[in-house]
Amino acid sequence: MPESHIKTAFRARSRMTRRGALGLFVLPFTGLACSALEAKPLRIVCLDDGLTETLLMLGVRPVAIADREVWEKWVVEPPLPAEVADVGTLLEPNLEFLQQLRPDIILAIPYLDGIKPLLERVAPVTTIGIYTEDGQPYRRAIEATRQLARLVGKEAEGEALIAATDASLLGIRQELAPLSARPVYVVNFMDPRNVRVYGKKSLFQDVFDRIGLSNAWTGETNYWGFSTVGIDGLATSSDARLAYLEPLPEGAGGTLTESPVWNAMPFVRNRSIMRLPAVLMFGALPSASRFARVLAKAMTGEAARG
Amino acid sequence: MAEDAATLAEHGKLAGRTWKRGMFANQPVSAILLCMVLSTAAMAATVSNLTVQLPSALWLRSLIAPDIDDMRQVLVHYAFLPRLVVSLLCGAALGLAGTVLQQVLRNPLASPETIGVSAGAYLALALASLLAPSLLAFGREWVALAGAFIALAAVFALSWHKGLSPLSVVLAGLVVSLYAGAIGAALIVLRHEWLASLFIWGAGSLGQQDWKTTLWLLPRAGAAALTIGLMVRPLTLLGLDDEGARSLGVPLGVYRFAGLVAAVALTAFVVAAVGVIGFVGLAAATLARIGGARRLSQRLIMAPLIGASLLWAADQAVQVATGPQGDLLPTGAITALLGAPLLLWLLPRLALGWEVPALTAERLPRTGQPGLVLAAIGVSLLLLLGLALLCGPGPHGWTVGFGDQLQPLLSWRWPRVSAALVAGAMLALAGLMMQRLTGNPMASPEVMGISAGAALGMMVALFSFSDAGRLVQTAAATVGAFAALLVTLAIGRRAAYAPERLLLAGVALTALFDALILVLTATGDPRAMLLLNWLTGSTYGVDANAALLTGGIAIVLLLLAPLFMRWLDVLPLGPSAVQALGIDVRKTRLLVLLMVAALTAASTLIVGPLTFIGLMAPHLARRLGLARALPQAAGAVLAGALIMVCADWIGRTAIFPRQIPAGLVATLIGGPVLMWLLRRR
Repeated sequence: MPESHIKTAFRARSRMTRRGALGLFVLPFTGLACSALEAKPLRIVCLDDGLTETLLMLGVRPVAIADREVWEKWVVEPPLPAEVADVGTLLEPNLEFLQQLRPDIILAIPYLDGIKPLLERVAPVTTIGIYTEDGQPYRRAIEATRQLARLVGKEAEGEALIAATDASLLGIRQELAPLSARPVYVVNFMDPRNVRVYGKKSLFQDVFDRIGLSNAWTGETNYWGFSTVGIDGLATSSDARLAYLEPLPEGAGGTLTESPVWNAMPFVRNRSIMRLPAVLMFGALPSASRFARVLAKAMTGEAARG
Repeated sequence: MAEDAATLAEHGKLAGRTWKRGMFANQPVSAILLCMVLSTAAMAATVSNLTVQLPSALWLRSLIAPDIDDMRQVLVHYAFLPRLVVSLLCGAALGLAGTVLQQVLRNPLASPETIGVSAGAYLALALASLLAPSLLAFGREWVALAGAFIALAAVFALSWHKGLSPLSVVLAGLVVSLYAGAIGAALIVLRHEWLASLFIWGAGSLGQQDWKTTLWLLPRAGAAALTIGLMVRPLTLLGLDDEGARSLGVPLGVYRFAGLVAAVALTAFVVAAVGVIGFVGLAAATLARIGGARRLSQRLIMAPLIGASLLWAADQAVQVATGPQGDLLPTGAITALLGAPLLLWLLPRLALGWEVPALTAERLPRTGQPGLVLAAIGVSLLLLLGLALLCGPGPHGWTVGFGDQLQPLLSWRWPRVSAALVAGAMLALAGLMMQRLTGNPMASPEVMGISAGAALGMMVALFSFSDAGRLVQTAAATVGAFAALLVTLAIGRRAAYAPERLLLAGVALTALFDALILVLTATGDPRAMLLLNWLTGSTYGVDANAALLTGGIAIVLLLLAPLFMRWLDVLPLGPSAVQALGIDVRKTRLLVLLMVAALTAASTLIVGPLTFIGLMAPHLARRLGLARALPQAAGAVLAGALIMVCADWIGRTAIFPRQIPAGLVATLIGGPVLMWLLRRR
């Protein structure tokens, strides 16, 4: 069993309800046990990282995914088993390669509708949309989890994952209650001057709502739930904190601290900046709980430092 | 030079039309007036932008000693003001660079953008920041300078044999810009996670966070401007013809080189500071001329002033549109959007002289047995087809497919291979027709903007319909190609479809298209990636239906081709010779152009607008000794197909399971081949 899962469970247990902790702890093992029992597991090619992380948490290993090499950099958790193959880029998965993998099913997202007819010639395609014009990615991620669980015959594990995620968010809500007065910006740096700030329709917004934090960014967002703005666009709220996600683009880290605008930003002057490890911004339930966890750790760490 | 005199005369006429000659006869009145109008508009926009950010009572304070507890004052002092100064500095620098380049090259169309210098500097910086960030530690200006000079050297190498004539320099500049753009696209396809950041900067965002860029740019641009200021007299003499200048005892070469270095350095500094600011250099230098600044000393003052007020006004207008500090509508791309129509408007008003038809002047080998050469290319094509269809890597290494195994693989491979084949063939034919029509070896549908028109149409479809299927995209691209053709034709009509105008209209259309792409991608819209995939010429999405459709169109068009061959044999001889043979020049040109548009639209849909096949294949055929129109056309079609199939195969297999778009591979391989071909004389 990967060490990080166990660590995760231990870390989580201190904060969340017992049922939730138990769920998280037991989950990967049950999944493993079941797939071992099945005579012929479904050969799944998964073209979305959010769906892939959900599958992995259900204890199912996809045969192949797209853009495999960026997993370590952008998703991190759960770790990707070495056996998972790479089918090429998300927008142009290699069809000859796919054909030779002989998958039973291909999981895709609405973003890939353009290549769906091609994929359907290889295997049946199931499209699951978590990010749409209507927003609410958390609710949709729950539905996606149920759909995937039904697909691989792991309904119980699916419900357990949903419950564990809910419970973990609830635990973090209680833990962060004393710190929840100040709003928080969540951003990715595009370059030293511009950020993607996450707001309405983003997974992070839904997590904020559930852990009782308020998002400092209330402006418009696109259907992926972000808006690209200059960092000075983040100066509107005077008591906000800033949480920025890794990875940083080449060259952004060094130049930030030298800029007077950056140094005059309220959150820089209050020293309310948190650097978070990478979390998949377009993810599903596992990314939601990972985000809540890393944010809570950063916030409590900051509070402890004073 | 006669053409210079003609240009000046025409400008004088333009200026005279608007202003009665009187007490201001020797002053560039229109230029000064234009400058004042632009500055007034810019000033009004600036005041309005500033009012939104800060009450006017605090303006002076935030300028001199901002209160760092007040974020509004910090933003005005460290973001708004430096951005304003940078816009003035960059505009002035580009205007000056444009004027010097026009003077040194004796070319009314020369500018940092049109001779490829901006693109070269930008590519060098992009390459350095992605592949070797340590290089930037030596100073961004050196990287940018190196890129700019490499681009300039390539442009000179490509146009040297035509005595650096205005048109050949601008066309070579376009080819170099296109090639730099293709390499940039390859970078982004391979490293797409940082797509947005590369584009924000590359599109010329003027956003600032401190005074660093301003203080960096000021001494560098100042030094270059001072150098130019010290050379006003010798530079003026460069405007005379060589004989006249030499008889005055001016070492022409030295000053020409020094002027060139100063102008290129100015451009490289601007690109290193803020990215590519499209078309300000050309617009400022040209508007100064048209505005009545006839003496070089006047132009050297008026062009920077116009450039500065132009960029200032554009940047403030962008901020009015996006709110203060808006970075997402990059000012550089917006100026290019405005600049391209300006260039189109200018074209009919510039006198460029008549180009000597090039193909007839060439002394290239002629083969006695064209059939043998054609057979050789044909056999190579067949061999390559076998390779492309049967061989490829799989999950367990390379395999040569046969029997049952091959069947499913073949169903994926044949549509792509056949699409690449016919696209290459059609582009080659279109290129051949363009080159014979215009008598210009640099002509091709890519250069003429027809490909760009098709791409524009496709782009509009992608962004205006939420679910644009292949059919909608096809229709939109065709409409776009014909629209581009109509624009080109409308501009060309005045000169009975004279080749030069058509080509330059293409330059402008391509620039417009590049600017649109930059604006769209800089917004970080996920559809931009879809678009980029297609633009780089991926055959990925081609299924059996699309392949059959394209194949059908190609067969019809290729069967029509022999009807054109007699015209294509005589067209390079020049319009008077054609007329003497009793052929209606206008009608012939129109028919050839329509054929070219159809060929280009059908092939651009498959391999994107960036390949050089149309430019390259006819040259290959000619170098192999195929001189008459029909054998050259057949050779070009076969060679185009060969290159494209080869590019598609390399693209599918080189970094398996990832894929490099076929159009991009063709460009990356074809660009240097083409440059080498054009150089070897």
